[in-house]
Amino acid sequence: MDFVLVAKAVGALAAIGLIAAGMLSAASRRFTVDVDPRIESVLAALPGANCGACGNPSCFSAAEAMVADTLPVTACTAGGQSVADSVAEALGVEKCAVSSAVSMRHCGGGRAASRSFDYAGVMSCTAALRVAGGDLACPNGCLGFGDCARACPFNAISMDERGLPVIDLDACTGCEVCVSECPRGRLDLLRMGPAEGSVVVRCASHDRPKARKGYCSMCCISCKKCEKACPHDAIHVVDLLAVVDYDKCTGCGVCVDVCPQECIDLSGRTNIWGDPAFLDGRGPKVEGFMPRKADEAGSHD
Amino acid sequence: MMETLAHFALLLVGAALVNNILLTRFIGLCPFFGVSNAMETSWGMAGAVLFVMTLASTATWVFWNWLLVPLGVGEFLYIPAFILVIASLVQFVEMYLRKAAPSLYRSLGIFLPLITTNCAVLATATEAVKPGFFKMNLAYGFGFGEAVVYTVGVALGFGFALITFAALRERLEVAPVPDVMRGTPMAFITAGLLSLGYVGLSGLFGL
Repeated sequence: MDFVLVAKAVGALAAIGLIAAGMLSAASRRFTVDVDPRIESVLAALPGANCGACGNPSCFSAAEAMVADTLPVTACTAGGQSVADSVAEALGVEKCAVSSAVSMRHCGGGRAASRSFDYAGVMSCTAALRVAGGDLACPNGCLGFGDCARACPFNAISMDERGLPVIDLDACTGCEVCVSECPRGRLDLLRMGPAEGSVVVRCASHDRPKARKGYCSMCCISCKKCEKACPHDAIHVVDLLAVVDYDKCTGCGVCVDVCPQECIDLSGRTNIWGDPAFLDGRGPKVEGFMPRKADEAGSHD
Repeated sequence: MMETLAHFALLLVGAALVNNILLTRFIGLCPFFGVSNAMETSWGMAGAVLFVMTLASTATWVFWNWLLVPLGVGEFLYIPAFILVIASLVQFVEMYLRKAAPSLYRSLGIFLPLITTNCAVLATATEAVKPGFFKMNLAYGFGFGEAVVYTVGVALGFGFALITFAALRERLEVAPVPDVMRGTPMAFITAGLLSLGYVGLSGLFGL
């Protein structure tokens, strides 16, 4: 045994260790960063999905902004009231009410809308739109490849048999990720609306009604029947398209009943042919409301 | 002067492409598959590796030449000694960045602990002090400048391979790949083909 060599080896390692330890302990004192302990507790209250709905890239930066008082405690759209309450509690400020919103699809086309060519490329709306403007003849309609469903951080969107995204109102947090992910989100295909039961116009096209009817059998035809029927003056045909004023809408469903195109629908309902079982329970209960095509259920496609 | 320049240039190209650490020597494959899902993270990783590798090799060169070689213990002590040096250095840098450059810390932050004692970093640090260490037949040590240039070359090669691979994987994500081959199996095949391409570079400039 070469004890000198062993001693040298131990000495060398000990020297390196001592130098490193000295350097690190000096650095930890010199470079301490004071982290506000409240950031941790606010972060624990946030959902942690990093959805970006509040305008911050991550829940951590949202927590920092909330502690710094540059972001309101109710800013977490994904968390809703319960998260806002626990954030307020963590920060020791007064609780306040959150207005909730959910994503709404403004298209009822799906397989009822005509296609201008057979698309066989990458199964994504963004990709399909790059090929000659997409296979869908309607310039505003849903392409149906489910970019929104894949993007949803809360798995609230699923694609149904009509090739349309269906939004689960209980799971939707209003984070708007789907709206920004949808290549036609800016064309109002997906738009935010109140979470409490209300109606949606399942059409986003501003084309002339005749042109619209040429490529989709489910479109709004600007007939103004809803406008005349609405007891609350909440729905108007603006720029050839029925638009709901959610400040006035009570979700009574008269327009749903009167629409000859079945273009107006209760939000969150998964089947336009109206199986009441599809009503999510949060939607309004409409007395005497029976969809006209109930007997045709299943015969579409 | 010209000769020195040419020597350094060859060293850089040799380290980056001909002896690419990922695709011809297969060192550091964990981050190669781990963070190559998205271009963004692979850019971050490439930057962090360039940063840490250069620092680590510089520090280990100093410890090797001024401490381990004079004591005659380098041949068997290099692994623990280098791990100790690299780990504490990365810790130190992390603390410093957190204080001095919080935005840089946030973009590199998650990668720094990941590559503290990454095999690629350790291998490069070892090779930078003793080129051909794994062949054990070269009685030639790099000077300080050579060590730094060699390390930068290796890190650039690492980044280049990682980013090209990430770009390929992003394309494969949307390509019509059969279901059984989706994801990792396809990544392995792609890595193999990419590696074939890099092996084809051996012999370039007689390196």
